[in-house]
Amino acid sequence: MGVSGLVPARFLTLTAHLILVIVILWSREENVKSCLPLTYTQDEYTFKDNQLIIGLSVALGLFVLELVGFFGGFSTFMPSQAMISTAAHASGAVAMSFFIFDLWECDTYWWIFGFCSAFPALTEIIVLLGVLVFHKGL
Amino acid sequence: MAVFQIFSQAEQRRYYAHVCSKASIFMIFVIALTFIPPFFIAYRSYGFWLRVDNYEEQPQVQFKHQLLVTMETSDSYITWSTFQNYNQLQQANLRIPVLQSREADNNGDGVRDELQLKLEMPLLDTEHIQAVQLILIFDYMLSKFSTMQMESMGYLRHESIFPGGQLKVIGDLLLVQRQPLAHRGLDTRFNTSIFDRNSLFLDAFDLSKVFTEYSSRNVTTLFQYNYPIWSKGRAAGSPFTLQATVRYPLTTVQYTPGLWQLFKWAWIQYFAILVVFIFVFNRIKAFVYQNQLVTTIVIPAFKEHKL
Repeated sequence: MGVSGLVPARFLTLTAHLILVIVILWSREENVKSCLPLTYTQDEYTFKDNQLIIGLSVALGLFVLELVGFFGGFSTFMPSQAMISTAAHASGAVAMSFFIFDLWECDTYWWIFGFCSAFPALTEIIVLLGVLVFHKGL
Repeated sequence: MAVFQIFSQAEQRRYYAHVCSKASIFMIFVIALTFIPPFFIAYRSYGFWLRVDNYEEQPQVQFKHQLLVTMETSDSYITWSTFQNYNQLQQANLRIPVLQSREADNNGDGVRDELQLKLEMPLLDTEHIQAVQLILIFDYMLSKFSTMQMESMGYLRHESIFPGGQLKVIGDLLLVQRQPLAHRGLDTRFNTSIFDRNSLFLDAFDLSKVFTEYSSRNVTTLFQYNYPIWSKGRAAGSPFTLQATVRYPLTTVQYTPGLWQLFKWAWIQYFAILVVFIFVFNRIKAFVYQNQLVTTIVIPAFKEHKL
């Protein structure tokens, strides 16, 4: 392929999105408070907090999956998977930075998770299956 | 002799692909990402639709020569108005003043700039006036955007524990809006009379009722005077003099902009952000198609010369 530029771009967007997810995992308090009503009980807070923790942790797991596929050489030189991954994680990084700075509601995180973490991980799994199980080269 | 670049020309390279191929899916995706996000960015950063705007106009005001004046002593009051029915109802307390008024156009632009009113109420020496109340009725018109004509009121009240002989007041007739005006058309919602002059009942001139109804109007005027001068004591035999100067100043009027003004500003905001997105995505498209990240048929710019 000899595509210079696509591999670093994918790496950078992956890393940016990963860092933002980790940052939110550490400082999620304000975001959780912004999706609760003005007066809330400790139970409600813990419930929403747990939801967000689960979402972020699953996202981290999917990141590990994608990094395995990328660094392990499975999808490093596949242009379509690289493009999907770059686009998804770039928009994910932008959305997550808005999430932190504009204090978006914690329920909107599931949309970001769906499009920007789950979708590229899904395509990565398909690629991994293709390479490992069906011996599809390239 | 050194040569320098005298002219340059871009060559076009065309990329062809089938309707259902990765290349066209990529293109659809990029087009959506180019034209839709600028709208969201422009909208979410507030001020996309211009909902309210201002314009300045000096209103055309005319004093309708209708007024109601009340002067109060410590235990009684004296009153007069230009409304026959009110005067008949208030026969017991009626006193007829001497009234002079003129409206001046100081800068000669055809629009009246102020009203000078002088009212002299004849009084007995035993009557000590401690409060004066004056209601003036105006015709108020704005014509720059929508044509708004209304009957409006200027209300003045001054009280003092010291009985007085003269009250001088200077102020402006200000526009008070609770809602923005339209940008075109005729607006005569408030062109109804404030005092129902044909009514024979006392409650038609009940000030609390009149004021409640007047202040429930969404567009009114207010006579704002900050410099009242009350002269204590009155020479024997002289009337109570009330002098009022009501200015009609340049007013800032709030209005809802029309459709084209709305679109003009919305388009400017959208286009400014769109340009950036088009530039960025053109570079991304060039990178993707040039490096054959999606397979396309390339037709180069130059034609093959047959040897």
